[in-house]
Amino acid sequence: MQRRLLIPVLAMVAVLIFTSQSIAEEVVKVGAVQPVTGRFAFAGVHINAGLQDALMIANEEGGINGKKIQYIMEDGTYNVDVAVAAFKRIMSRDNPVVMYGESTGMGKAVAPEIKERYKVLYSSTSFSSELANAADNPFVFVPGPTYSDMFGILLKYIAQEKPGANVAFFYSDTEFGKDPVPYGREMCKKLGLNLVAEEVAKVGGVDVASQVLDLKRKNAEFVIFQGFVTSPVDAVIKQARDYGLKAKFMGTHWGTHKMLLDKLGPLAEGYLGVMPYAFYYQDEVPIMAKIKAWNKTHHPEVEYRPTSYMQGFFTGQVFVECLKRADQMGQIDGETLVKALQSIKDVDVGGMMAPITVVNNKIPMGRVYKANVQKGIFEPISDWIHTD
Amino acid sequence: MRCGDFKESYIKDEQIFQSLFVKFWLVVFILFLFVLPFMADPYVMYIANLIGVAVIAAIGLNILTGFTGQISLGHAAFAGVGGYTAAILMTRFDLSFWLALPCAGIMAALAGLVIGIPSLRVKGLYLCIATLAAQFIFEFIFIHWESMTHGIRGINVPAPTLGAIVIDTEKKFYFLTLGIAVLAVGFARNLVRSRVGRAFVAIRDRDLAAEIMGISLFRYKLTAFAISSFYAGMAGALWVCFMRIVTPEQFPFHLSIQYLAMVIVGGMGSILGSIFGAVFMTLTPELLNVISGAVSKAYPTLGQLFIPMKEVVFGTLIVVFLIFEPLGLAEIWRRIKAFFLLWPFSY
Repeated sequence: MQRRLLIPVLAMVAVLIFTSQSIAEEVVKVGAVQPVTGRFAFAGVHINAGLQDALMIANEEGGINGKKIQYIMEDGTYNVDVAVAAFKRIMSRDNPVVMYGESTGMGKAVAPEIKERYKVLYSSTSFSSELANAADNPFVFVPGPTYSDMFGILLKYIAQEKPGANVAFFYSDTEFGKDPVPYGREMCKKLGLNLVAEEVAKVGGVDVASQVLDLKRKNAEFVIFQGFVTSPVDAVIKQARDYGLKAKFMGTHWGTHKMLLDKLGPLAEGYLGVMPYAFYYQDEVPIMAKIKAWNKTHHPEVEYRPTSYMQGFFTGQVFVECLKRADQMGQIDGETLVKALQSIKDVDVGGMMAPITVVNNKIPMGRVYKANVQKGIFEPISDWIHTD
Repeated sequence: MRCGDFKESYIKDEQIFQSLFVKFWLVVFILFLFVLPFMADPYVMYIANLIGVAVIAAIGLNILTGFTGQISLGHAAFAGVGGYTAAILMTRFDLSFWLALPCAGIMAALAGLVIGIPSLRVKGLYLCIATLAAQFIFEFIFIHWESMTHGIRGINVPAPTLGAIVIDTEKKFYFLTLGIAVLAVGFARNLVRSRVGRAFVAIRDRDLAAEIMGISLFRYKLTAFAISSFYAGMAGALWVCFMRIVTPEQFPFHLSIQYLAMVIVGGMGSILGSIFGAVFMTLTPELLNVISGAVSKAYPTLGQLFIPMKEVVFGTLIVVFLIFEPLGLAEIWRRIKAFFLLWPFSY
């Protein structure tokens, strides 16, 4: 029984592997370890789709000066050891020049080896400030502002709207949650804002009464969430309204998406968020027409693409730009790619972001959006705000 | 022609290398393990290291769960204690890896001793919950004792050195893992056929009877916890030094479950079973990953469907194995051997 099954299965695998390797033309390989299963899959599948679509669109438009991009994706399951294994598998089997990874943990685990051994341009789903440091990790870049930058943007916005306002941070007990807090404290001091409270809660928790009461007692006027996706943001806002707290609630990248708006319903009134990328429904953005046309032909079942898709797509745009520049410099390898990355200045990305300039291996800008409850969308209420 | 295995004394029955045949193949296997890094790429070596670490941890848990009958759901926490001890000693006190490694084991053993105390009063599912508490307590400590553990950010660990050699690649580290794994297997195999090992088995089979026979439950249960945690601590320290970073996320509750699954799938109360279990539980998801990766590379649309399926396949495989052989992979291996022992004249 076992033997009867084994041979066809092996044969199938062999055929799959060989057919995929029979492409003879010159290719540029881009590898990716994506969290397409596991607890981050809700975003991982979209990030993967976005990155892949950006690269495939570039292929259709002529590739990297004629060379085709090959996208190699493996599942990292959002577990550090599995993800690092997938990373090493791709590196030793395909040896790509660009790699995309998943969690901050994975980034930290592979960062020393990227620097010393693999020398590939690396980006990931993480906006951690720790990784975006050109001096320590020259090969690693963050496709947008870090969480700290996002805090900076929100705080700048607050300082403009209401100087000396009472601000509170509400973050989760994870790396994701704590990452921008020290920078946020500093920025509050610098901008003359009054940081009245720091509340910590569990991801997905519902028991937030004590934190909400504390916010009320300290009379917080602006509350910034960090480190949550949906819960307990909804619970906090609901209880705050019940207790008569009039604060404005705000979120960073993972707290500014349609899923949260749908969950909040009417509670989302007045909710603000910072977002570096354009939304799918922003028809005024030129690149969106291209994305919509591509999705219509290649993914006809898709009706909406979330912000995580845009994140992946934008990363793909930066990859393509770097590859093109490196190719013009004469060689596509990690070191040239880093030079190419650092040479990016005022480059148009079709409105996905304002023209981008890479500073310290990141792109520290974003825009503040406000929830429109009737339409269930976010609408921009500020111009592009830069930090640093 | 060989038609059976006859022994004339109990000592012979307990021999580890029972025949020339076994010795020969064991030597061949060890030679293979030594030659492997010269043929394999870094990815294979990375997996080999993960397996080595899993083997050490699984043997530790098997001593406690398989031999002594004390279920522990806190094994990952003990690995964490070891990992953090090694990381802290190597970064703050500049201790060499070779000193930090046994210290990590000892620290984990101490933690195991403390957590093992409830085992004197509670058994079975109740003990399970008591050790589960340990898992969460230690996880909490790893996250919140920031001055020591650097909280969620973790600690970057330097690569171990041996004289002038820096053990920083998968290949070099493999020899380290292999050496320690061989020592760990050897010690465990000898332990379980000693007086202590027999006491463990007696406790597992019936603790009251064991006590009446003069076995001190206090002493042996705690010894089992200490030895088991020592193994976990060593495994944790090795893993941390291999990954060159330690964060609380490396020792989650589900790792404890995974260790338990290794022991159960491999075969409770069998050292060989722990090895099989560790290999199976590490290698199968990787193989499924490789296959699903190859599929998604060739047929991107199919990959979207196939990748999530691997969890289902993995789960089904475990269930199927347990249904067809509740005694685990070690028993399947024994049956295969028995089949070939009398082949082709089985009756």
